[in-house]
Amino acid sequence: MERSKTYMNSYLAGILIGVFMIGAYYFSGEGLGASGALKAVVVTAVNDVNHEYAKEAHFFKARVQNEEESPIKSWLIFEILGVIAGAIISAAIAGRLKFEIGKGPNISSRTRLIFALIGGIFFGVGSQLGRGCTSGMVMSGMGVLSLSGFIGLIAIFGGGYIIAYFFRKLWL
Amino acid sequence: MKKFDVLYVGLLLIGAFWTFIVNSASDEPIDRVQPCDLVDIVAQTDKYMTTDELARRLMSDDPTLALIDLRSKNEYKKYSLEGAINIPLENIVDPEFEDAINQDVQTVVFYSNSSDLAAKAWMLTKRLGYENNYILRGGLNHWVETILRPREPKETASRSEFERYNFRKAASAYFGGGSATGEAVATKKPKVAIKRKKKSAAGGGCD
Amino acid sequence: MGPLFPLGTIGEELNLLIGFIIGIGFGFLLEAAGFTNTRKLAGVFYGYDFVVLKVFFAAAITAAIGLFLMNHYGLIDINAVFYPKTFWIPTLIGGFIMAFGFLIGGFCPGTSICAAVTGKIDAMIFVLGAIIGIFGYAFTYESLWEDLRNSGKMGRVNIAEWMGISDGLFILLLTIVAAVAFFAVTLIQKKVTEKHDYQL
Repeated sequence: MERSKTYMNSYLAGILIGVFMIGAYYFSGEGLGASGALKAVVVTAVNDVNHEYAKEAHFFKARVQNEEESPIKSWLIFEILGVIAGAIISAAIAGRLKFEIGKGPNISSRTRLIFALIGGIFFGVGSQLGRGCTSGMVMSGMGVLSLSGFIGLIAIFGGGYIIAYFFRKLWL
Repeated sequence: MKKFDVLYVGLLLIGAFWTFIVNSASDEPIDRVQPCDLVDIVAQTDKYMTTDELARRLMSDDPTLALIDLRSKNEYKKYSLEGAINIPLENIVDPEFEDAINQDVQTVVFYSNSSDLAAKAWMLTKRLGYENNYILRGGLNHWVETILRPREPKETASRSEFERYNFRKAASAYFGGGSATGEAVATKKPKVAIKRKKKSAAGGGCD
Repeated sequence: MGPLFPLGTIGEELNLLIGFIIGIGFGFLLEAAGFTNTRKLAGVFYGYDFVVLKVFFAAAITAAIGLFLMNHYGLIDINAVFYPKTFWIPTLIGGFIMAFGFLIGGFCPGTSICAAVTGKIDAMIFVLGAIIGIFGYAFTYESLWEDLRNSGKMGRVNIAEWMGISDGLFILLLTIVAAVAFFAVTLIQKKVTEKHDYQL
């Protein structure tokens, strides 16, 4: 028996997210993203510590040339702050606001955390190389009918299905 | 929950159909030629040269005549009019041919199999401001019908028709009519590499 | 006519505020749909919970329909909004790496942030991992990644145009395919969860 009575209907949630995405495009001309925010955190940190290096290195230079503008004062960061707030509000209403570790039943918490770290590293690298993550590149990309969004979709989900069998112990 | 699921998915489908219908209904061809220009251009009546007229000029060795074959290189090689140079329609606005068609000394006659390509070339070059260009009315198809293989008029036809027929018979003999393979004696034959380029319409507004 | 900020209709402060508000909506909906639960997320690959597929496609289709219609009725200029350019090679490879990240880590950046702030410790570790990954990538960028990241450049490619069909037709086909998929996965999910309660 799924306890999904406390979760919103998936289709409705999807449609509403779509509406918010339209809003993001209409007001700000931006798609909903996430990995960009993490990148901004990294860029800002490196820039604050060693601006000279950041100005030269290819990965950073595009964002740090202007000494006035901090890469952290961007639409994406404000959006992510909103995401944080929204998630907390929803969890609070639904009673899901508590510390816990989500994991499959057949592995230990320690294993889960180790894999979470590794998975995160992979995603960090992959999202930078792939030029976006599932929200920013795929979902927003599909919304404007960009080919790259669909390529991302096939790569992430196709790839996932191919290798899912090998990691089943983590989840099942 | 099931009922709501159907509702939401149904909403998406309705939205998608709406999108599709709206999209199909409004598909207009991208026409960069402004309407007012088009009316002016089309209204001009002196843009045609009849096959008879062309035959006459060719037979009298008119030096001011410049024939442009707008078809593909292969078609041009198989058969073309005497002295014609080959500029496939998609290359008509290439800079290398500009001298051949943007000038005011010679009488340039565009031809193709029918009037179709020739009319297009004429429109394009007219928009660019080139003068002295004409369309061979009816194109090569008509050329064959009237000049190379003229049809004998009926007994009840008028005298002018008979005169015309006689002229055409003579022309047919001159141009080696009966067989559609005349030798193309070209005055200048530029090497045309047929590149499949997107047709670049002449830009500019209605001013 | 939108987009309001890029066309100068609204100022930067207001724009950032709107970003914040839209973020609230996004975060709320992600959490409400259950995306903070890592097992629900992984369920799409094992057949016991297809929430990811449903939300994803519903959102993308809604946005595509909405943006198309707004563009058609002159409410928005689709050429002025953010449009991810297509670099098919790095996107394909990066996507594959992300697939590993998804299956091993159980999150993607957006959902991991939502989950981390609502107390999921595994998500916090995931975010940490992502930041480490980005650091690693950044410092090896020029030697390892730069060329790859810029390869396969196709520019701004509209998928419908690329396939040779109209936008409207593509959206319709996508929606029909999605509707069929929704129906199919509902059945699959029912079958898979009948045998075993996943206690999500």
